[in-house]
Amino acid sequence: MNDRPQRLDTAIIGGGVLGASLAGFLAAGGARVCVVDGGHGGGSTANAGSLHVQLQSRFLRKYPDKVSALERNLHLYPKAVAFWKQLETDLGTDFDFHMTGGLMVAENQEQFEFLEHKSQRESRLGLDVQLLGRDELEKVAPYLGPAIFGAELCRQEGKVNPLLAHAALKDWGTGMGVTFLPETFVGTIERSGSGFALATPNRAFQADRVILAAGGGNKDLARSLGFNLPVASEPLHMNITEPTEPLIGHLVQHADRPITLKQFSTGHVVIGGGWPAHLREKDAFPSVELASIIGNTTLAQHIIPEIAPLRLIRTWAGINATMHGHPILGQFSTMPGVYAAVSGDAGFTLGPFSARLLADVILGYPASEDMTEFSPDLYTI
Amino acid sequence: MSTSDFVDIEFNGRSVTARKGETVASALIGAGFRVLRTSENGANRGIFCGMGVCQDCLVEIDGKSNLRACMTKIDGPISVRRQQSGRRTARYTLARPAIAVQDVQVEIPEILVIGAGPAGLSAAMAARRSGAGVKVLDERSNAGGQFYKQVTVSGPDFPPADQQHRDGATLFEKCVDLDVQFEFETTVWGGFENREFIASNRAGTVRYNPQRVIIATGAYERAHVVPGWTLPGVMTTGAAQTLWRSSRRLAGQRVVVAGNGPLNLQLATELTDGGAEVVALVEAARPNRLGAVVDVGRMFLSSREFLIQGIGFIRRLKAAGVNLLNDHVVAGIEATSSGLRVKLTGSNQRTSLQTLEFDTDVVCLGYGFEPSNELARAVGCEQDYDPVRQELKLRLDDVGGTTVQSVYAVGDCAGMGGAMVALSQGEIAGYAAGQSLGYPLSNDHRSRLGMARRTMARQRRFQRALWRIYEYPRVNLEHAKPETAFCRCEEVSVGSVLSALDNGCVSTGEVKRRTRLGMGRCQGRYCVPVLQHIMANRAGTTVDSNSGFAPRVPVKPVAIEDLLRSMSNE
Repeated sequence: MNDRPQRLDTAIIGGGVLGASLAGFLAAGGARVCVVDGGHGGGSTANAGSLHVQLQSRFLRKYPDKVSALERNLHLYPKAVAFWKQLETDLGTDFDFHMTGGLMVAENQEQFEFLEHKSQRESRLGLDVQLLGRDELEKVAPYLGPAIFGAELCRQEGKVNPLLAHAALKDWGTGMGVTFLPETFVGTIERSGSGFALATPNRAFQADRVILAAGGGNKDLARSLGFNLPVASEPLHMNITEPTEPLIGHLVQHADRPITLKQFSTGHVVIGGGWPAHLREKDAFPSVELASIIGNTTLAQHIIPEIAPLRLIRTWAGINATMHGHPILGQFSTMPGVYAAVSGDAGFTLGPFSARLLADVILGYPASEDMTEFSPDLYTI
Repeated sequence: MSTSDFVDIEFNGRSVTARKGETVASALIGAGFRVLRTSENGANRGIFCGMGVCQDCLVEIDGKSNLRACMTKIDGPISVRRQQSGRRTARYTLARPAIAVQDVQVEIPEILVIGAGPAGLSAAMAARRSGAGVKVLDERSNAGGQFYKQVTVSGPDFPPADQQHRDGATLFEKCVDLDVQFEFETTVWGGFENREFIASNRAGTVRYNPQRVIIATGAYERAHVVPGWTLPGVMTTGAAQTLWRSSRRLAGQRVVVAGNGPLNLQLATELTDGGAEVVALVEAARPNRLGAVVDVGRMFLSSREFLIQGIGFIRRLKAAGVNLLNDHVVAGIEATSSGLRVKLTGSNQRTSLQTLEFDTDVVCLGYGFEPSNELARAVGCEQDYDPVRQELKLRLDDVGGTTVQSVYAVGDCAGMGGAMVALSQGEIAGYAAGQSLGYPLSNDHRSRLGMARRTMARQRRFQRALWRIYEYPRVNLEHAKPETAFCRCEEVSVGSVLSALDNGCVSTGEVKRRTRLGMGRCQGRYCVPVLQHIMANRAGTTVDSNSGFAPRVPVKPVAIEDLLRSMSNE
């Protein structure tokens, strides 16, 4: 162990899609950046790659008190999806980005009315949404099974392959001099001299600027500095089948049950959408659950019977940051040099776009959005 | 031979006479069809592992795709088609309701044994003798595992079962007489930290919440990553042996058997006796070197019958004029107009030896084994590195208990030891599991237990001597080319993996995410152990228990529709 802490200019804690994008934007703006991450270099690759725009029924059911904040910020989502495309183009790479449109399906009149009400609100808020009855669905999404009564289509939704996106972001950053330090878990942050001391199990760092981009992990990091960020970790379960020929054209969700369902260009069908996982007792490794395998995948074949004969080849778990209604992006004004970076709900979708907004603040560029509501100053203990 | 022993099946519109009880893979090999599937990239694939692990022999049967030819038994007329990657073969339009985990039938056996090979059978027998209720699950259609694999076809023209077959049959019959419950063609595809297991078969899916579980899932052949190792006609030694010992089918007329260890010797002898032309038996080590004499003596003292058997194999092969080569390894295989051409080179310590080439129909690769410990790892069992064998082993107490309460592991899945060690391990763990449930051991049990311990010690001495005799420097990627397939399933090349390592990937998981290596249907069983060694060598360390992938269920693929059925209801 080195006694003298390693000096860093800008330390981003967390190498997920937000942290890695931010590192790239800051490096492109001339900053010297180090991404310190407690994981094994996985970034946001446990994510299933859905790009969400329409209000997710799961959020509406679980967090009714956050809906108004979510609606106020709904305009960010189409911009965030478009930004993914922009990023793919700017990086000259292929994330397997496709703006396929997303369908939220209903199985009965009651669920359809829920979607009707939801789509009216979303339409007023500027989203490109449309209700489709069974007959119209036959043309748009013939793969949906007979249980589906109707659906809401949001043309602005889509998907990327998180594996490709992660690799591209990392290569991009590395090419501009960003250092990625995996397997380096930051336990606490303390003010130290004119900067901040980061404690990790095997080495110490002294950073001039610290950006908290650790998802649910931001909770403990912020607390060590005296702030109370409203984030928490939510382990979620995902499934993937063996590949099949092109079948599912959209990102598919359900009006009343947790699921996301889509097909990568490799042919694999990815099934997720909010089924629980847990942190393994001995080492807090995100681990899958049998109940989620059974429930999630049999629900998927209920919606799309054609996938019933496909075999599951893998399941895995990742950690989502729970719902809080809007991004938290900016400097703690009582502690200059420390920034919060929480991308908001459907954080993967908002990741690169949120990173851009925060990078603009840090680099002193003009802001493209009103960020008053995103200020971390609201969360002082 | 009665006609009831045969059944006509169809393969791509052509009629094939199959033997009742053999597998689809075996019937097609017998009829000369080697290409069973085309990969995502259009490459031809055929039977490789022959034991349900590699997922390379997938075919479409009666309109259902993704079925393993090597694991599908023929008991009636069927229509088989070569699988084209990803093709959906049937229309599924029925919206069956979703179910919850509570809807899946639960069984609570006192003792669950997973795997009916030597270790599993002897564990089941001992556990049942102690008084406990025992349920055994196995993926194959009959008992015996890879060592005792049974003859599944009948007819007077086929060579009868030999002693090894009969020993397995006897062990199975003892279990049946003791009222051990068996469930075959049943794949245990998941294990969880709460010691729950889940299994599926044609009838459906069952959750198992046993009071004790004995994992006896055996081993599978280690990958030998060389140019051409994915070609149809290239298969593992075990695959060719299953074709012969179970179905009395020759993998081909001309065969090169190559690898390390006595299984290759046995296969070459069996195929020669069965009428094949063994072009060469290629051993990577030099077991007849002078220094081996001490170990041969040790083998004689510890288990002379196997030593005598081995010497008998060599005599028969020599008498048949088989080319017996030591110190050589397969460095590449290419397809020719009439079959395969295999290139041999001196093994790592003998690189000065000249390159040899042989024309053949089939190449069997048998370069050692990897333990099938996926289920044990999924429930949280810890492993340790064995520096002598250069491999990970499950950490066991002296009765086979793992680091997870009430979970035992026996046989090769716990760390390679061979069938004879597995038998003793199984017996010891079986009695221990029974005793831990409160069944007292009688004097008879105790004397059997004492015998098992002594036999195990003796067989371990034999095994250690055998390993020393067959010692050779492990081959990883020395003979691979950049374009050689490293990961068979996802068709990831050696070159792309090496460049990912050069670009700073720090873990096998990162290589997986970067290159897709190990993301396919076999779950990285072949590529990952090699990758682990490559990465350890580069880092100047040894493989450790965290250097592989995190265990992921399903450990074997399971169809979503199989989750909808409950075994007892249909």
